Amino acid sequence: MRTITIFKAVTRNWMRSRSGLFFSILFPILLLIVFGTIFSGVGGSSSSNLFIQNLDRVTSGGKPSDLSTAYVGALNVTKLFNIKDVPADANATSWARDALGPLGGNIRILVISEGFQDDLLGGTLKVRVGISYDTLNMTYQYLQFSLNDTEKTMFEQGLAQMRQYNETLPDRSTSLTLMLDPSDQSASVIRNVITGIANAFNYQLIGAQNVIQFNETAVTTTRFSTVDFYVPGITSAFIMTNGIIALSSNSTEFKRRGIIKRLSITPLTRMDWILGNVLSQTLLNLMLTAIMIGLGWLVFNVRIVPDALSIILIFLGSVMFSGIGMLLSGLIKDVEAASAIGNAIAFPMMFLSGAYFPLEFAPSYIQTIAKALPLTYFADGLRYAMLYKYPEGVYTNMAIVGALAIVFIILGSLVTRWKEK
Amino acid sequence: MGTSVVEVDLLVKEYGQLKAVDGISFEVYEGEIFAFLGPNGAGKTTTVEILECIRPFTSGSAKVLGYDVAKKDDVKEIKKRIGVLPQAFSALDKLTVKENIDLIGDMYAKHLDITEVIEMLDLEEKTNERFENLSGGLKQRVGVAAALVSDPQLVFLDEPTTGLDPKARREVWTVIENLKKMNKTVFLTTHYMEEAQLLADRIAIIDKGKIATSGSPQELISQHGGHKVLVIRKGDKKLAGMLTDKYGQTTLNDHGDIFVKVDGVSEFWKVMNTLTDMKTNNEVEIQTPTIEDVFLKIVGGRITEEGELKR
Repeated sequence: MRTITIFKAVTRNWMRSRSGLFFSILFPILLLIVFGTIFSGVGGSSSSNLFIQNLDRVTSGGKPSDLSTAYVGALNVTKLFNIKDVPADANATSWARDALGPLGGNIRILVISEGFQDDLLGGTLKVRVGISYDTLNMTYQYLQFSLNDTEKTMFEQGLAQMRQYNETLPDRSTSLTLMLDPSDQSASVIRNVITGIANAFNYQLIGAQNVIQFNETAVTTTRFSTVDFYVPGITSAFIMTNGIIALSSNSTEFKRRGIIKRLSITPLTRMDWILGNVLSQTLLNLMLTAIMIGLGWLVFNVRIVPDALSIILIFLGSVMFSGIGMLLSGLIKDVEAASAIGNAIAFPMMFLSGAYFPLEFAPSYIQTIAKALPLTYFADGLRYAMLYKYPEGVYTNMAIVGALAIVFIILGSLVTRWKEK
Repeated sequence: MGTSVVEVDLLVKEYGQLKAVDGISFEVYEGEIFAFLGPNGAGKTTTVEILECIRPFTSGSAKVLGYDVAKKDDVKEIKKRIGVLPQAFSALDKLTVKENIDLIGDMYAKHLDITEVIEMLDLEEKTNERFENLSGGLKQRVGVAAALVSDPQLVFLDEPTTGLDPKARREVWTVIENLKKMNKTVFLTTHYMEEAQLLADRIAIIDKGKIATSGSPQELISQHGGHKVLVIRKGDKKLAGMLTDKYGQTTLNDHGDIFVKVDGVSEFWKVMNTLTDMKTNNEVEIQTPTIEDVFLKIVGGRITEEGELKR
């Protein structure tokens, strides 16, 4: 009962504090809107510019050859590129720079060389004849023992003629030239797409069949946007700051002003006090989660439905970070020092733990640091629970958060002084 | 004297080499206002917090309402039965007067009706005002209300008027006087002489962790306060010299006031007769010694407004 009274009083006191509301609710809202807007690509095009200068013409200055047109068409089908034609007689680089303007982004130019169609067809014939020769030759090696001498001679003559014919065919290949800015971060993707399509052309023209079938099936039924990632990320980060910064500075303030002393003179026990505070944090954090989800829904049309696992995880996270907050306020007397140290712990943790950015792309030393941070497991678990609906991913993280919650709440309780010295 | 509600015997509290409380013994009786009077650092709050069971002690013994402060089970019983206004009382800023009193009330199994307590302390108009918006005097009144909400037998008021302006101080005094009428036993600590003398049934003067003397204000004054003094306004050196010849040492200050010690009624009349014989028409006044005189004599100094001892 006393726990509930403390819970109500502490929560009410917090709800009426403007700075408390700002840092615990309004600030995360702003952050979600800002991050969500910047990284969800609203207002920008997601396809890359690609300039193509097609030098392969049927007649000089005439229309492009069929094969080169087909190749450009294949690139277009990928929808990855915003393709612009560069006139055959222009200097491709300066033309592209003029076309993009000063803020137009990276210049990427693909030059299809003159004779693309002829070389491709000619080269293909030589390859086809070569393959036929090799096949017949191999068959002959197997069969020669069952053939009589006449048959052998005929076969050998035929193979010799075939080789002679192939040798009269010129060695031909054609080239595509890709010009890229070395600093272009999309370079490897663009290179892969262009060579991939070129390979497909090669195979098609020599009539080869795809022996390896590449099948792709969707792993999840939902596609995730950046905002999907940020909703659990920012929520978990602010559950952390609510414990480490807000709770610790509030408790230090309560201690400094003798409010904890006043309560300790009543029959209230230390356990009641701690539980009341943890419950208040849990409620605050559930509210924060609800607001973040609602905001994602209203502003970014992201629909995340938290399940029971998410709620258990939020409770465990609230206990864990409240424990850390109490530990700080128990060890530090000065209110300003407590809030400074709380900030010094919370902010690096926020950025190093993968709450805001996926750690897969971070340098390995950051991944190592992240493994030591409680927020990493909490943010991961929350993302698995809220977003991917992948319970197996939640359990390990939940176990770690649960264990840390027990450790920190015990340490936090031990340093919460219920008696003077 | 009634039954003892507080019994302290040879209580010692040491912080390393420093003895904050140095073997004090005293009793507080039911229904009285008992005051600890002394400067900052004398050991007042330390003693009170030991009795409130929130501070451990080094040696000796202390019982509150018959329960031993050193026993865990007894501590629970003590906490149920005492009300406390701690030094520099504060409450949750964003909660209202009513909510804050309610919060403390809810800590007890039984408590008085909150509205009743609010009326008792004349806080009706401020019931729904947030604590952060109250004046110092009102905050202290909320503190007293919180101390009374559990209907305690014994109320500790630790420096209840420190930092208040004279008007607010007087308001709090009225509240404390009313507690006595409500039959509460009050344990008051203060560094204001006037406060102790006005409110307390018994005073213990405490200095450097020891009780220098104790008793009712009258007892203390008559034992240690010294003589009554007759003050003759607008006198001169000639008059002062003549009175000195007749009645021993007199003093003359810069304003022309002559101070003559008078022991009892007969000596008073002798001086008055002398003045009448001389046909002087000066204004006269009798000054009775106060607790301040007692304190000056016993401790050998005065306490400043801030509570510091000046020897």
